[in-house]
Amino acid sequence: MLRTRSRRGGFFARTLPFWLLFVPMLFIVCVQLYPGFYTFGLSLNSMVAGARKFVGLQNYSRFFGSSAFHESLVHTAVFLAGYVSLTLLASLAVVLVLNRKMKFSPLYITLIFIPWVLSDVIVGYVWKLFVDPGAGLLTPLFSLPIFGLNGQPLLIASPPAQLSPNVPFPPAPAMLYLIAAASWKALPFTSLLLLAALQTVPKELVESARIDGASSWSTFRLITLPLILPMILVALFNLTLSGMNGVGMVFSLTGGGPGTATMVLSYLLYSIGFTQIDFGQAAALSVFIFGINLILIVVSLRISRSRAELI
Amino acid sequence: MQQTSTKRSITFAALTATVALLAACGAPAAAPAPSPTAAPAATQAPAATEVPAATATPAKQATEFVTWYQYDEKNEDPKNDEAVGNAYLRESMPKFNAAFKDQFVWVNQPQQWQKMVTSLVTAVQAGGEVPDLMHTGASALPVFLKQGTVQDLTDWVKAQPWFADLDPSAVQACTGPDDRIYCVPLAEQPNVVFYWKDYFPNGFPKTADEFLKRAAELKQENVYAITYFGSTGFEGDAATRYFYSVIASFGGRYDDGQGNMKLNTPENIKAIEFMREIVQKGYSSDNVFLGDFKEENDLKGIDPNAPRAASFPTGSFGYRYIQPVKAPNGTQYGNDFDPTGGPMLEAIAAGDMAISAMFTGGGAAQPGCHIGLSSFVIPAGARNPDGAKAYINWLMDPANGVEWVQKPGGGLPVNQKLMQEKVFDTPFYKQAAAASAGLCKPWYGSLVRLPEAKQIIAATIFDLIKANPTADIAAALQRADDEYNRGNQ
Amino acid sequence: MMATYRAFAARKPAARIAANIAAIGVCFIMIFPVFSTLVLSFKQQADVIRTPPQLFPCDTPSEPFNIAACRFFIEGYQRIIDLQPNPQALLGTEVRGRIINTYLPNTIFYSVTGALMVTVLAGSAGYAFSRYEFRGKRVLLIGILAITGIPLLTNLLALYQIVVDLRKATGPLFDQLVANGALTRDTARLLRDWQDRITLVCIYAGFFLPLSIWIVKGFFDTIPHELEEAAFIDGASPAQALTRVIVPLAMPSLLAAFLLTFVGIWNEFIANYLIVGTSRQNLRSVIVGVYDLTGSNLINYQVLAAACVLVMLPVIVVFLAARHTFFQAMLEGAVKG
Repeated sequence: MLRTRSRRGGFFARTLPFWLLFVPMLFIVCVQLYPGFYTFGLSLNSMVAGARKFVGLQNYSRFFGSSAFHESLVHTAVFLAGYVSLTLLASLAVVLVLNRKMKFSPLYITLIFIPWVLSDVIVGYVWKLFVDPGAGLLTPLFSLPIFGLNGQPLLIASPPAQLSPNVPFPPAPAMLYLIAAASWKALPFTSLLLLAALQTVPKELVESARIDGASSWSTFRLITLPLILPMILVALFNLTLSGMNGVGMVFSLTGGGPGTATMVLSYLLYSIGFTQIDFGQAAALSVFIFGINLILIVVSLRISRSRAELI
Repeated sequence: MQQTSTKRSITFAALTATVALLAACGAPAAAPAPSPTAAPAATQAPAATEVPAATATPAKQATEFVTWYQYDEKNEDPKNDEAVGNAYLRESMPKFNAAFKDQFVWVNQPQQWQKMVTSLVTAVQAGGEVPDLMHTGASALPVFLKQGTVQDLTDWVKAQPWFADLDPSAVQACTGPDDRIYCVPLAEQPNVVFYWKDYFPNGFPKTADEFLKRAAELKQENVYAITYFGSTGFEGDAATRYFYSVIASFGGRYDDGQGNMKLNTPENIKAIEFMREIVQKGYSSDNVFLGDFKEENDLKGIDPNAPRAASFPTGSFGYRYIQPVKAPNGTQYGNDFDPTGGPMLEAIAAGDMAISAMFTGGGAAQPGCHIGLSSFVIPAGARNPDGAKAYINWLMDPANGVEWVQKPGGGLPVNQKLMQEKVFDTPFYKQAAAASAGLCKPWYGSLVRLPEAKQIIAATIFDLIKANPTADIAAALQRADDEYNRGNQ
Repeated sequence: MMATYRAFAARKPAARIAANIAAIGVCFIMIFPVFSTLVLSFKQQADVIRTPPQLFPCDTPSEPFNIAACRFFIEGYQRIIDLQPNPQALLGTEVRGRIINTYLPNTIFYSVTGALMVTVLAGSAGYAFSRYEFRGKRVLLIGILAITGIPLLTNLLALYQIVVDLRKATGPLFDQLVANGALTRDTARLLRDWQDRITLVCIYAGFFLPLSIWIVKGFFDTIPHELEEAAFIDGASPAQALTRVIVPLAMPSLLAAFLLTFVGIWNEFIANYLIVGTSRQNLRSVIVGVYDLTGSNLINYQVLAAACVLVMLPVIVVFLAARHTFFQAMLEGAVKG
């Protein structure tokens, strides 16, 4: 019906949707698409003294063979595994608490949400202050024998002996701490996603299952979980993407250290591009990370029915 | 629906108003044309507005002369780590502006010290705001040359009257492989060892074995024999400090002389075994690996709960930062952070603290160390190179240069004429000169990709002495060599 | 976890208390870091470095906690704000701290301008997507949805180069104008600065736009077409229909887009740091300013904490004031985008 009206108008009115979309699309193309191609072009060149030289796939071959890359792949995998699973489990626990009628629920939700509006860099500093060897409020806690740090400050403590000199596993305590800090920051948003999904679960369904004598675990497993599973998947992909690409917290909390123990791909990208000033190699790494992102996005679009349905 | 949306609109309007108010408050600093009353607050346009209106300098005619220092003359915080340099700039800028009235107005843009080199390289490449002059270490030279960041100064430098007075080895450090001069050295900052005499009554040990012996005794007294910068933070700067001092004092180096990294040598392995022993036997505290210069606290001895260390190998400029200090005999020098940088110098003058060269190890004939060079470069694309040259000439006059060498220079004057000035006739300068005479060389040798080299070396040695004290040293060093040399092919 | 779930199903009073305690515990964990930073920012150096560390500087030799003995100082804030007397300035004092007098106004400018831009653009695109059918609409929408997942990080090298190319394109022009005497050097510098500022804001706008388009589009979908039709029948011009009917109706979603973008830009670090932070010091955002501060204040944690509080507080206040819209925005954005 709106179409009929627009057909009546002049050229401008008839092409109104185009004009409405033109500027926003221009922005998206300039900031999101064009740079993608530009980066790919850059990755085939080497930059010295501001001048470009075509080197083909040399950046890729040098990069993929470097041990810094292999190591940081392991670090990234460890970080993502810890970050995604810890955040999901903690969020699930939080929303199961919150998903009941409590007098102060709105207050709880508001308070829990505060970390979401904070900056990664600032959160990194705040958590770094917690484990400062002298002034850190958590230092006395972490020096308890149960944490196995043997009196070493947490951020430089060595991991237990490695599997092999080439494999940076098991992770250093600093990595585990980074995971905890990142999860703390990601918990509010993930909780909100799950809470939204949980509130769509019909209460009658759960209650009738209870009346039929199902245990609370089996009610959760058989009724609630399947219903919120799509949202858990959405959260999983969101977390993987943000974990893959977040660099601010590494910046302020660990700086990639101790040694290279928290050198994840995103921080390595920064380091190669803007500390070592090797734009060609950094672009090659960008393309690699971009590829992973793209796979994640495509898979999540396919899986997440709740997204597709809306179109 | 309608109602809630109205309510929300009101919230929105209120919020926008708040934000607009906030923005308006901030406006004086951001506005293109600051109002007269707000002008002094505007750091936005560091040009003519910065000259206090009261002096009524005809600033418009003078050309701006822009410098990059790691110091910030506008930071008057007396407890800032860089308070010494900040205060120096604050006092020296009006002097320069007065000396070059109607000609130049000095504008300084402070930078983070560990980012300065990369910032300049990217600024030159990126068409950013390039200064006319940057204060930097000569260690940055290979990076600058590789990226075409700085101007060739050979002809100008050689024509200056003070050129003949410069220490030739410092000039050499400013010379590229093409025999052209790219920086002007003003002060040498050799890496030396600061130590408390009470802990080493017979002087600082001459060999690593003697040192270990004394370290074991000190451990009985709950004193760590040594503290050092062992963190991998600050872009791998550890590679240029203690790690290099020990390796060089064991007769080792980082390169093969041909631009390749060659860490895997018998000398280096011995040196790393020694550093490992220091950590394993608990002769240094955990503070050394923490970064953020926490290792300095061990030497200061101010905090009764903190670890206490007997010696600290670091750059000669360390005295500016390590203060106040308290000698083992209880004498305290300085009460709070002193922007003149005096307390440590007093401790040295009083004979409680002393300066020495590193001990030798592995049968090496003499100790080694890295020499930092406090110098100036003029970047490619500088708008006012004449201002930069006038400034350098101005500093070569002892009337202005002495203070520069003492404060931002933090080392020994390169201009031999200055060395004869009375102010350098103190225990600190004499001991620092004696401890470094003819021993120190730039850490990087023939290496060129220094940011990468620093990170690789620092991470490798850190891993071997701290994180993986049982790992095979030769294999790890070989891996580091291979990693760096891949980029040479 | 399961205990609480059982409580949910059974609604026992004991379980309700347990759930409340659990919720309070979670709130404590989420708030404590912010709270302790606030306390830290008011400590003096002697209490900051005390071992063992204490949360409150309120102990006396005889008691562990005595509210009358609390030692709170504003040294941290004084050193960040750095008020200096200046007879020429407003009120006789001027703010010397760069974080307050330069970086904070920068951040406010980037956040407000960027968010306004995103709101307008998302409103326009969201309206078109919601109200018109055209070829390629579905592909475009899915494409925009996919783009919401692309982080700023991998595009940074290219964006950096683009900013550089822009500078190199306009730089000689400005130089020439200065040489001709058409511009003073100060004006030329200001123009250069504003070019970078605007480029940066445009980058932010392009980055936050896709998510906002989805939020706004989803909201428009819920508004019945008849309301606009009615306005037209009443003889309103398209402009009147827009300002009097459509914008007020869409206000919640526009506000949501504004807020999400505002907070996003406020907290953004890496793009600002790399694109302007290293070479254009006076364009740094406040977070880059805090990062910078740590380079020269390594020991004085109360100063760092004060800076962190000054950065955190504005967004927390904005969030608390507009939390309903926030939740709605995030749910819409999350579920649909």
